[in-house]
Amino acid sequence: MTPSDITHTSDAMPVAAGRQSLVQRLAFSSEFGLVLLIALAVVIFASTLPGFTSPFSLFTIGRQIGIDTMIGLAMMAVIVTGGLDLSVGAIGVCSAMAFGWMMESAGVPLALGVPLAVLFGAGLGFLNGAIVVRSGVHSFIITLASMSIFFGVMIFLSQAQAFRTMPPEVLGFGKLRFGGLLSALLVFSLVVCAALSALYRFTSLGRQMLAAGANPRAAEISGVRTGRIFIACHMLTGALAAIAGLMITARTGAAVPSMAGHLGQDWLLPAFLAPVLGGTLLSGGRVAVFGTFLGAALVNIITSGLLLMRVGEFWVQAFLGLMLLAAVLTDRARHKLLQRRGMI
Amino acid sequence: MANIVLTRAFDNDWIGPALVSVFAIAVISFFQPSFLTPFNIFVLLSAIAVNMLVALGQLVIVGVGQMNLALGSIGGLVAISFGAMMELWGFPPAAAIICGLLIGAAAGMASGFVIARTGISAFIITLAGLQIFKGINLGITEAQPFYGIPQGVKDFGNLSLIGPIPWLVVPTIIASIAVWYLFARLRIGRYILAIGGNRNAAELSGINVNATIIWAHAISGVLAAAAGMMLVARLQLGHPTIGDDWLISSFAAPVIGGAILAGGHVSVPGTFFGVVIIAIITQALVVFAIDPFVVQIVLGGLILWAVGINRLREVRVSKLLGQKA
Repeated sequence: MTPSDITHTSDAMPVAAGRQSLVQRLAFSSEFGLVLLIALAVVIFASTLPGFTSPFSLFTIGRQIGIDTMIGLAMMAVIVTGGLDLSVGAIGVCSAMAFGWMMESAGVPLALGVPLAVLFGAGLGFLNGAIVVRSGVHSFIITLASMSIFFGVMIFLSQAQAFRTMPPEVLGFGKLRFGGLLSALLVFSLVVCAALSALYRFTSLGRQMLAAGANPRAAEISGVRTGRIFIACHMLTGALAAIAGLMITARTGAAVPSMAGHLGQDWLLPAFLAPVLGGTLLSGGRVAVFGTFLGAALVNIITSGLLLMRVGEFWVQAFLGLMLLAAVLTDRARHKLLQRRGMI
Repeated sequence: MANIVLTRAFDNDWIGPALVSVFAIAVISFFQPSFLTPFNIFVLLSAIAVNMLVALGQLVIVGVGQMNLALGSIGGLVAISFGAMMELWGFPPAAAIICGLLIGAAAGMASGFVIARTGISAFIITLAGLQIFKGINLGITEAQPFYGIPQGVKDFGNLSLIGPIPWLVVPTIIASIAVWYLFARLRIGRYILAIGGNRNAAELSGINVNATIIWAHAISGVLAAAAGMMLVARLQLGHPTIGDDWLISSFAAPVIGGAILAGGHVSVPGTFFGVVIIAIITQALVVFAIDPFVVQIVLGGLILWAVGINRLREVRVSKLLGQKA
């Protein structure tokens, strides 16, 4: 059973349903489809594009998968509540810039700077969460405002200047590879995936997050303090966004204000694409941690393949939009099919 | 009795923002008399003209209870198509404008169609739309602007009608009155607000929800297209980055103007003063030589402030309703 099945297992599977239903469930799970698609894409690209399987190509694809997975996980952590966070990109950049400032100007040691930057991200997430919960206004408009504010304050304080003096370990981590092809950033993302699925599966906090997201009223009545739990979800999002920002800093060796585009908007598509492909429900209450990783993997493998085929970078961008559309449509079709067969 | 109070509480959406605008103009021109020079007014009105269309494009979608993230990318796509049609294919401006509006309507209809038919949240569909339209835009232009804009179009974007009033305000006034009329008098406008207020009730009372949603997105696309083409006239080139920065301000102005984001209640005059407030603040930062990046902070703060005010008013109105019951 995949971690994504946690919430629906108990009510989804009729007690009488036997082996066949388990096989069917596996066949209809988003992860299974993704693995098939990834395998298909890898086989096609590896056989037609000679440069695709070179160690360096695999390393750069893996590194980008690691970063996109982290961005996707950041959004997933708040989609659980049925809300969203437009400010993930802004939080990521702000945390990376705070880290850069600590390294270059404040002389904070690296071992302290990393946790402080992640805490900083969690703090920005706390602001989002607290305002959303206290005001009762939808997270879309609150995080739209906070994305503008966070980014504006960051640009104002930094004067749009990058921090380029980093300890050598930062860039070293970004360049680190195992066996000549496996990026350390990818391995790190997988470790975070494992930690998150443990959180959602085994800890009371994680289960409360899922319960509060699936049905806030029911959760509240059964003693979950949904307000606090939602704030915790936003803090988790902030922390993960900060980690993603730090990973990009490690890749480029500098904290650059434009790393996520204007207002951090460039993160929005990867942030939604990976979890939605992975099977996270936008209405909340269901997560797909490893699905998010698989989603990010599929997107990056196809993107790199298309770029190697010399499809223009800009057309690839349009293609990713179509992919998001296809992902939500398939998800809906699958949902309907499962419903008709009485499997949900 | 309570009904009258209730109507009033909702009808004066625009009074607050209007007072704030007047106050801001008074304060700024007191400290910096050059603020009200004809040239400055001209610049201010040009900015208001374009931003008002952008805000109206979002307002229509907010009315139906959704959001349109693709607004800016539709505007950008139409802007470069407008440039391309005139530079590459030698279309006369009038034909290019009509084609541009049609492209905007088609792009909006496409999003609306997918949203209405699948029932998937408008957020995710328009996010995909944003990426697709922007990708097509950059794929066509390869990030290079179109420079061959006819002189007539350039003049329209930069000459004045009378005194400090630019030509650009003409389409904006027409569009504003049209959208106001749409919501106040036309059936489609009432349908949009009914769906935004309570989709199930609207559906049960026989409104064709899907068709209305598609229409709302088509109207939004047309307004975005008009704004994009007006920017081409003003900037004198078809730049592929047109529309990139519309997202925040397109939501800020309707929200300042009292629109309820859950849908069902919008105000065209309120939105107008929302646009005016944003334009004044942006211009004031320039006049006082304050870091232009502060605009982002102020815009975000304005949204939060307006959301807070709207929330308070909602509470007050629901109290009034409670008393009546």
